[in-house]
Amino acid sequence: MFADVAAKASVPCAVACLAACTTFSDTIQSTERGLAQQQPKTALAAYEKVKPPPQDLVLYLMNKGMLLRMSGDYAESTRTLEEAKSHIQALRALSLREQALSITVNDATKSFIGEDYERVMVNNYLALNYLEGGQLDAARVEALQVDLLLREKAQKTTVVTPYAEDAFARYLTGIVYEDEREWSDAMIAYRKAYEAYKKQLKSFSVAMPETLKHDLIRLADRMGLAEEAGRYREEFKIEQTLSEAELLERGEIILTVHAGLAPIKRERATTVPNPATGRILRIALPQYRSRAQPFVYANLSVDSSSAKTSRVENVDAIAVKTLDAEMPLITARAVARMAAKDTVAAAAGSGSSGGNSSASTTAALLGLAVNVAGVLTERADTRSWFTLPGEIHLARLPLSPGEYKLKVELHGRDERVLDSSEIKVTLRKGEKKYLSRHWIPTNLEVKP
Amino acid sequence: MKRAVSLNAGVALLALAALSACATKVERLDTSTAVDLSGGWNDTDSRAVSQEMIQDSLSRAWLQEFRGRPGQARPAVIVGEVRNLSHEHINVNTFTLDLERALINSGKVDFVATKQERLGIRDERKDQDLNARQDTRNAMGKELGADFMLTGTINTIVDPNGNQQLLFYQVNMTLISLADNRKVWVGQKDIRKLVTRSKLRF
Repeated sequence: MFADVAAKASVPCAVACLAACTTFSDTIQSTERGLAQQQPKTALAAYEKVKPPPQDLVLYLMNKGMLLRMSGDYAESTRTLEEAKSHIQALRALSLREQALSITVNDATKSFIGEDYERVMVNNYLALNYLEGGQLDAARVEALQVDLLLREKAQKTTVVTPYAEDAFARYLTGIVYEDEREWSDAMIAYRKAYEAYKKQLKSFSVAMPETLKHDLIRLADRMGLAEEAGRYREEFKIEQTLSEAELLERGEIILTVHAGLAPIKRERATTVPNPATGRILRIALPQYRSRAQPFVYANLSVDSSSAKTSRVENVDAIAVKTLDAEMPLITARAVARMAAKDTVAAAAGSGSSGGNSSASTTAALLGLAVNVAGVLTERADTRSWFTLPGEIHLARLPLSPGEYKLKVELHGRDERVLDSSEIKVTLRKGEKKYLSRHWIPTNLEVKP
Repeated sequence: MKRAVSLNAGVALLALAALSACATKVERLDTSTAVDLSGGWNDTDSRAVSQEMIQDSLSRAWLQEFRGRPGQARPAVIVGEVRNLSHEHINVNTFTLDLERALINSGKVDFVATKQERLGIRDERKDQDLNARQDTRNAMGKELGADFMLTGTINTIVDPNGNQQLLFYQVNMTLISLADNRKVWVGQKDIRKLVTRSKLRF
């Protein structure tokens, strides 16, 4: 009798307790507010108040590194992202303890090392930090590391996944090699980027960037690959483009725009009482919710020259498709966990139907406690690098050596100007200057 | 009663042992002891490469040839740019300083301050010109010009397979005559490492 009452009472009790528990995505609202107000320093201050548990250290460093970059502190951002990278390296070995916890408690007990695309993004942003700080050789180190990471990933992967390559990482690598005047390596990287953009068009809806089309022709010409250059000219319908020699006589502005925020992971949970046993069953799964993205393109202009950005990376689509590909495994683990927790709760309350009323009550209470504990700990792993942009755009503008006041205009739909700013640069002959602009909309609503 | 006391003492000892295991432990090592933690480029590599390369360089013909010139005793050398073209962020400064140390300590060459250091020294000389006593002033324009410049690159080839990585470091150094751009010595030092990463952790 008591056992029945306890079981019925447990449902609202567990639901109330669950409301009090928080997932990672609940803890970042004040940081998001700061970002939406275009105040990265405020967002950083809010985020630094988060005390990450040991298993979330890498995630904390990734977000902090990005917020520092947005705040303009490139040196500290680099130090933080390098720290994240070294922790990732140490945590890549399998932990049996964490595996056991993920099967018995929840997936968020595992140390976060990020998805493949997030780990590649650490290298990408470090490379951009170095490039913007004028440390070309250090950016080249990141280019080599990203190549190693993608090679290791290709060796490990036995099934075809949507994120098999990182087109933007390959493209950025090509730019670094070209700046180093390592023409053959640049050509190889541009080719890899070309292949990746072609393959991923369907999955991530990122068309071949306009700049890459010109880069391929220019490098193929420089390498004396007339047939290949002719093929690109025909495919892209481009007759004339600046030659490498002409480009070296000028300087070049390379602008990256990091727009919006990556999708946020939310929990999608179902809690139901099992009428046959009276125990509660709960399953919690992660789900990405995309953010609003009003940004369409940016225009970089000075005097009579201008360049329009092309989308080079759709982080939003990569994140969503990566999680989609992993969902069968995550779901299987959640179902196994639910069954395991229910079996333990059943075993704990197994004496409740016996003759001795005192022992029966104790067993029922124990069963209830185990059941409630199992339900309370069933939370989805909603950790993700939420400060990544939703999209990355890139423009290349060759200019004669000199001093310039560049105008960067961000455009939304219907050509609406979202933001406008001016940057002063001095460009030397043959020099490439790397600039970036982070822009986050005021309204960070998630798409339903 | 006696048993309870000994039990308590045992528990206390165990707790103490557990706590001491958590404390930060520092072990001082001899700088010549090779310790490999991550498998990456470390102080041992930097020191070994710089010493071997300089020894090789000083035993070659260019030094004798220079000394054989009339009025030339010891060549003045400067360390130029050593570029890190490897897949690791290597602190090139420590490697450059190791090279400088090995060169100076050889006693066979004179060593000239780097470009950056020279700027600081020139500032000091300007300051002396204004503020130092006349008999202690060092005049401008009496610097020792370098005869040779040492430049180099650090390259790597990485061959990963599962939890193993074959790391191949190649350090190339070139000594160039500043008088006529002649390469008087080219040295190369290779390091191969097989790094096996643990598949399991706690």
